[in-house]
Amino acid sequence: MNATLVGFVRKEFRQALRDRRMRVVIFVIPVVQMTLFGLALSNEVKNVRLSVQAPPADRLMDDLRKGAWGSGWFRPAPDQGDPVRLLETGRADAVLIAPGGGASRARERGDGRAQLVVDGTNALRARAIDGYVHALLRRASDETPPPVVAFDVRTLYNPTLATAVYLVPGVMGLILGLITILLTSMSLAREREMGTLETLLAAPVPRWEIFLGKTLPFVLLGLADVPLLVGFAHLVFGVPVRGPLWALALNAGAFVVTMVATGTLISTFAKNQQQAMMGGFLFLFPAILLSGVMAPVENFPLWAKPLAWLNPIQYFVSLNRQVMLRGAVGPLFWSEWAVLCALGVVIALWAAARLNPDLR
Amino acid sequence: MRRFSGPRALSVARKEIRHVRRDPFTLAMAVGVPVLLVVFFGYVLDFDVRDIRLRIVDRDNTPASRALAETFTASGYFKPHGPPAVSALRLLAEGRVKAAVFIEPGFAEDIARGIPARAQVVIDGADNQTAGVIAGYLDGVATVAARRLGADPPADLLRTRFLFNNELNSRWFVVTGLFVVVMGVLSILMTALTVAREWETGSMELLLSTPVRPLEMILGKLAPYLGLCLASTGLIYAAARLLFHVPFRGSLWFFLAANVLFLCCTLAQGLLISVLTRQQQLAMQFSNLTGLLPALLLSGFIFPVESMPAFFRILTWALPARHFMELCRGIILKGAGPLELARPALWLAGLAAALIGWASVKFKRDLEP
Repeated sequence: MNATLVGFVRKEFRQALRDRRMRVVIFVIPVVQMTLFGLALSNEVKNVRLSVQAPPADRLMDDLRKGAWGSGWFRPAPDQGDPVRLLETGRADAVLIAPGGGASRARERGDGRAQLVVDGTNALRARAIDGYVHALLRRASDETPPPVVAFDVRTLYNPTLATAVYLVPGVMGLILGLITILLTSMSLAREREMGTLETLLAAPVPRWEIFLGKTLPFVLLGLADVPLLVGFAHLVFGVPVRGPLWALALNAGAFVVTMVATGTLISTFAKNQQQAMMGGFLFLFPAILLSGVMAPVENFPLWAKPLAWLNPIQYFVSLNRQVMLRGAVGPLFWSEWAVLCALGVVIALWAAARLNPDLR
Repeated sequence: MRRFSGPRALSVARKEIRHVRRDPFTLAMAVGVPVLLVVFFGYVLDFDVRDIRLRIVDRDNTPASRALAETFTASGYFKPHGPPAVSALRLLAEGRVKAAVFIEPGFAEDIARGIPARAQVVIDGADNQTAGVIAGYLDGVATVAARRLGADPPADLLRTRFLFNNELNSRWFVVTGLFVVVMGVLSILMTALTVAREWETGSMELLLSTPVRPLEMILGKLAPYLGLCLASTGLIYAAARLLFHVPFRGSLWFFLAANVLFLCCTLAQGLLISVLTRQQQLAMQFSNLTGLLPALLLSGFIFPVESMPAFFRILTWALPARHFMELCRGIILKGAGPLELARPALWLAGLAAALIGWASVKFKRDLEP
């Protein structure tokens, strides 16, 4: 291998790994964060504090309470007090109010509906709570006629709908993107700020060697994180790896190269490290929100979709889910992978063109 | 022992203001970028899932089965997709459709005989965000289809009222959440490099030789950025009211106080990172890692804090953004006052004091080694 390149790699490795805190940033924090998010996050709606306001000895409501506490989704909230106040103070998420005289008697009379008041501040949660309480009430009032149409639902790839299984392959992309972008853009901006980049560009080394020498070490560091993250995802969270490992490697390789190129590009726009950091944020924040991890891409308005199509993180997450969960390496994999590679090439060429010797 | 002196803190602040004014890029980042991000993503992020790509395989092909298929497409939630030549399972495996419905022969007969007519729904579970939503819509589809097929609608037992947000407009909740996250991350980044930069360029030694004390230094460095961030809060407030028609039901003064507490927390967090690392590259890594993903994922922005396991729920108490999220949604959407929101407000005040104190103590050790 080219001796200049080896020299570059050795220098960057020494600089990045010399500081114990930097080693922590590169190797420990990614794994800790993935573990944290994998264990903590769930988009199931749980721990709903439900207040059931009914006269004593209302059999229907008593049954409903039993069902609610038994389901694991609800926790009891105070059964007395003004419903609006309960929701305002945040002591309850929903209040179920039996019709006058109790729900059991109302049902015998055949009139009077129970009222459910739900805290609507979180629209997603509110909708789920409404659905749960409907189901509870239907079960408690045990007069459900046989349904006319019934669905047998089967969920592919993630039968228990475990949040970690689909979230971890996505969070992996966020963490990997974050680390590589920050490493690359800051390191180059630092050299510019210190003036060492000038020295380098003046040295009798071809431009492409400088470019490769400044980027290759970060590609290698980023790639070192991949087996760590995949291994953890598989062993700790039981995320399946249904597709071939080479497909994972292809995806990770293209992604890390693209991210390092993006970091380099950001650094060419920055005059100092502060600007590089802000530039990194300006890229990362939208890229993370448009990645399909936080919100489904199909739901974006038409004018915003092209931005998602230009987002390397979105492709990595989609490809990662395809390989790990679906185990499918088909036309879709290859077409998305090709787009990711094309993005990488374009960004790398742009960055190389901007890393020019004129240091005005 | 010298006492805390206002004028000394003020001159540190003046020096910092001059830094900011010299760097228009940072100024633009602080004031303009937050409002742009909130407006942009306020329009983009939409959690009302519509037009889910669906493949319907109707092997019964009777008026009844067609009525069921039509119920799916007429609901507005689903959109038929995919060339008929490709099998449904293949479309699912390639991710071209999110769900497939199989209606087997005998569907219409079952309905005529009065026994539950079954159809199979296969959902792509690789993307839970939609998988859960699809499963949630199925109940409604079954009810509507039953009515179309001539059954009596089941007795309506319950009437629901959604308080604070009658139409369940998810935009309000997204915009308030975005506000918290964007301000939280940017304010950490604002201060994260200020001390580390002075160490790297050597100007810290000059500062150390002046009589300025650690607390004066920390507060002096914090104040100008607090002003900048409050200005951008004002812009976001205006945008949320004018563009998204987010109601503002609470007290403006309380909202302002909550903002100041929150920004003190995050700006002090940035300063603390800067004081501890003394190196810009590390400071930036730490501030992005402790700022960006936790604020996005653990603050209750999208993933509810209430659904976390108890251990992690307690862990989030150390996160300023989590308390500010509760305060913001409480004040803006519910109109709650200081009494109802005493707990998160006190937590924020405590965290702010702790972070400012910690940064000053660490800084002091540097001054007097």
